[in-house]
Amino acid sequence: MNRRTFLKVSVVTGAAIGAGQMIGQPNALSALPVQKKSPAAEEKWVATSCLNCPACCAIRVKTANERAIRITGNPLSLTSEGKICPRAHIGLQVLYDPGRIYSPLKRTNREKGKGSDPKWTPLSWDQALGEMNQRLKSLRESDQPHKLLLFSGLNTASSRDMIDRFAGAFGTPNLVSENGLDAETEKSGNWMADGHYGDTAYDLDHTNYILAFGADLLESSRPLSRFLRKWGKLRREKPNRTKVVVINPRYSLTAAKSDEWVPIHPGTDAALAMAIAHVILSENLHDAAYVNSRTAGFDAYKRLVLGQYNPEAVSKVTGIPPESIKRIAREYAQTKPAIALRGKESIAWPGGSYASYAIFCLNALVGSIDVPGGIVYQEKPEFKDMPRWVEDAVAGRGKNQTPLDLHGTNQFPLAEVVTNRIPESLLEGVPYPTEMAIGFNSNFNMSAPGAERWDRALKKLPYYVHISPFISEMALNADLVLPSTTYLEEWGYDHSPAGAGFAEVKLKQPVVASQGGARSITDIIFDLSKRLQGTVAQSFLNIGDHSEGFVKFRTETLMPWKEWVGKGVWRGKAYEYKKEKRIFNTPSKKFEFYSGNLKAILTKKGNRAKGDLDFLPHYQGVKFLGEKEKYPFILLPYKPLMAMENGSQNYPWAQEIFLPMQGIGWDTLVEMNSETAGNLKLRDGSAVWVESPFQKIKARLKCSEGIHPQVVAIACGQGHYAYGQWQKGLGVNPNDVIGVDYDDLSGQAVFFNTRVKVNKG
Amino acid sequence: MVIDLDKCTGCQACTTACKAENNVPHGSPEEQQLRREIHWNKVIAVTNGKYPRVRTELIPMPCMHCDHTPCVTVCPAKATYRRDDGIIVQDFRRCIGCKYCIVACPYGARSFNVKEQEEKKYHRHDPPPDRKAWGPWPFPSRTHGVVEKCTFCFHRIDQGVKEGKQIGKDVVPACVEDCPANARTFGDLDDAKSDVSRLLSSRGWIRLREELATKPKVYYLPG
Repeated sequence: MNRRTFLKVSVVTGAAIGAGQMIGQPNALSALPVQKKSPAAEEKWVATSCLNCPACCAIRVKTANERAIRITGNPLSLTSEGKICPRAHIGLQVLYDPGRIYSPLKRTNREKGKGSDPKWTPLSWDQALGEMNQRLKSLRESDQPHKLLLFSGLNTASSRDMIDRFAGAFGTPNLVSENGLDAETEKSGNWMADGHYGDTAYDLDHTNYILAFGADLLESSRPLSRFLRKWGKLRREKPNRTKVVVINPRYSLTAAKSDEWVPIHPGTDAALAMAIAHVILSENLHDAAYVNSRTAGFDAYKRLVLGQYNPEAVSKVTGIPPESIKRIAREYAQTKPAIALRGKESIAWPGGSYASYAIFCLNALVGSIDVPGGIVYQEKPEFKDMPRWVEDAVAGRGKNQTPLDLHGTNQFPLAEVVTNRIPESLLEGVPYPTEMAIGFNSNFNMSAPGAERWDRALKKLPYYVHISPFISEMALNADLVLPSTTYLEEWGYDHSPAGAGFAEVKLKQPVVASQGGARSITDIIFDLSKRLQGTVAQSFLNIGDHSEGFVKFRTETLMPWKEWVGKGVWRGKAYEYKKEKRIFNTPSKKFEFYSGNLKAILTKKGNRAKGDLDFLPHYQGVKFLGEKEKYPFILLPYKPLMAMENGSQNYPWAQEIFLPMQGIGWDTLVEMNSETAGNLKLRDGSAVWVESPFQKIKARLKCSEGIHPQVVAIACGQGHYAYGQWQKGLGVNPNDVIGVDYDDLSGQAVFFNTRVKVNKG
Repeated sequence: MVIDLDKCTGCQACTTACKAENNVPHGSPEEQQLRREIHWNKVIAVTNGKYPRVRTELIPMPCMHCDHTPCVTVCPAKATYRRDDGIIVQDFRRCIGCKYCIVACPYGARSFNVKEQEEKKYHRHDPPPDRKAWGPWPFPSRTHGVVEKCTFCFHRIDQGVKEGKQIGKDVVPACVEDCPANARTFGDLDDAKSDVSRLLSSRGWIRLREELATKPKVYYLPG
């Protein structure tokens, strides 16, 4: 039986089970007009939460006859005031994706690589987990647990807790999340200033001015639904309308909805932030009371800013006229409360940590720290603590090995994870060869720059197990694929990412029964731990024993189970402002313009730090991949709202409205400034090659007025080649042509410094 | 309906919510090229200007539910008509699929359905093609070869009226309910105390293609 016939069989069986359930239902009376002779559908609403991005908004799902038919927000959630973003609705198509798999599959074709058919054969769960167990056991028996590598893609907090625990108990330091592809520089920038290595939360209810550096607030920010909801509030639901200024080389959807779009030379946001500080400081517009009492290192910062970043000089770097810089700086400092926020486009660069730090410091300059309308500090929910896992000597030794991604080493001193470093480690076998890897909903060979290296690296892995509801691009390289449930079929919990300030927990519960034979990640890990026996098994005792039990165990501190299942949302106490005495985890216990934290770490690591400049926010200049003469343009990939984050795009509702600004779907466009394209004699709508020093891709050209003349923009999210009628072969993936680079401090993958040329296709 | 373009974020939640609520068939790459996709609500982008002074307006487009309706006038089969409450609806059983109304509509609000509900290729989330199981779903059976359009979710409104709920407050169309920015407001334009009337008297508003004298009942509040 090949995979296709197997899927057919499982679909038929699934349908038969469904029909059986329907027959058993009583004909409930309904006030609604129903069709003749049709028994009323049994409808109910279930409170659960979304997982189409890490924001995990609270949702309610309507089911009729055991089928999910509608998703809407949960008004009990205040993070987004009960609203959801457009992606949440697509959950129905995630659940009923025709490309899903329902049985463990084993590869029979040993040859891996793009284009070779894996020749899957179905396996029972027992066989599949047995096979995995054998491999895992032998790793521990030979005292090499560190040779297990775990990838974690988009997962619920509960699955992440389980995966962390598994890595700990098993004894591997190699748990690689997708964070390193996201915005680690935002975290490191925060940490330098206030000691919190985490995302930033903003009090959007009260702010009167937003200065957004490369932040696509209305497309790819997190939590998106909160930004969408608060946008309405900022504009028309408060007495004074909030002004929004967007700084971005591309006229993004956010820029279109903002009050002012400021196109900037790519990668020069740090210089602009410092110039804004120059205007504020030289005109004495800063919040002197706040700066004097709550900050440290101000003098060194002031000297640097006034010495090097006058608007005239910076104007040459950024391409923004000095008058504009001055005007924006004055507006920003005089409209209180104001916030300066940053997105990937401004900080996912080499030296991005410093850019992030420079922009973050603008908030302290105007006193927007932990006040209404400023930066707020996300509070954590009070889950019930899990007992510490049981670690034997093998695990202890394994955990102490150098991690494969080299995070925390001299190369990436601040990093928590350096996702995009893994292919080199695997290919070169340094610091040690890897024996086995397990991927949990990850799809890094699509989402990471230099995608092709990932393919080679995965191909080289002796044994790779992929766990996800569908055969993603990463799964194509697997030796074994386990079908996991989607978020609408499983138990879990999630807490809000940084955003609202107050803590919020959302429940995940099955809206419909698990489709086919899919199992949740939590249950798979419980099963594996039992098979592994010993200390690994002991580590998973007394925490619930299965996914529902685990959620019950962890959340019993929040509210009674019955109420919890009904409401689906738990909220912590209202946010408390002005905690200046407690929030700063810095040596001075103040907001630092001169980073004591960074000084301590860099000094400890030796030889990296050269002088005071290393501990101050500053602009480093831009290092590009590729020579300007040969590759005249800068490639700017961006994530449109409808790009799903779960590793698939096989969802027609998302596909048909993929690029609203361009009015098309199902495809990718190469966006170029009309004049530049005209000079190259390239016609709108014609096919063009976009070529970097590394790879080239072909797509249709879109001439646009809303783009910097030196920039070529391409949306991410398309270019899938693994499975699915609604995504396979549509569009291209810009990550194929992007080169590999990092922010050295945080290990953030750099997305924007690749140069390209554009030729007729 | 009033749509505040200043609050609108162009996120297209109205589009996806409508697709889910009304079980509107999705399209495909080929259908998009042929402009055959079915949308009861769509967000369109209109761009003007030259770099760097460029301006794009994102305009959500449901059916305008005009008071002077070109579509009703041209329909030879009386398949499309204006209800007493002003909603323009389409009777699928009467529609002969001549597409006159599509040509007549100045807003492109109408689509022609070339698909069978049961077509397996178009796997959708809606209840299975087993008629017994459909229940009170608003559009369980879709016939191909008819014209479709936005109904202001009249199934919700009718149900709300029956239950004595306040239309515009307790009961609104799906696109209004699921607009994250709360950019859309729905209610009775004849009632001076309704939210829509209050909004319209508070700010300047526009209607699309006013020159055609169709008198749309969808009003836009510019930024």
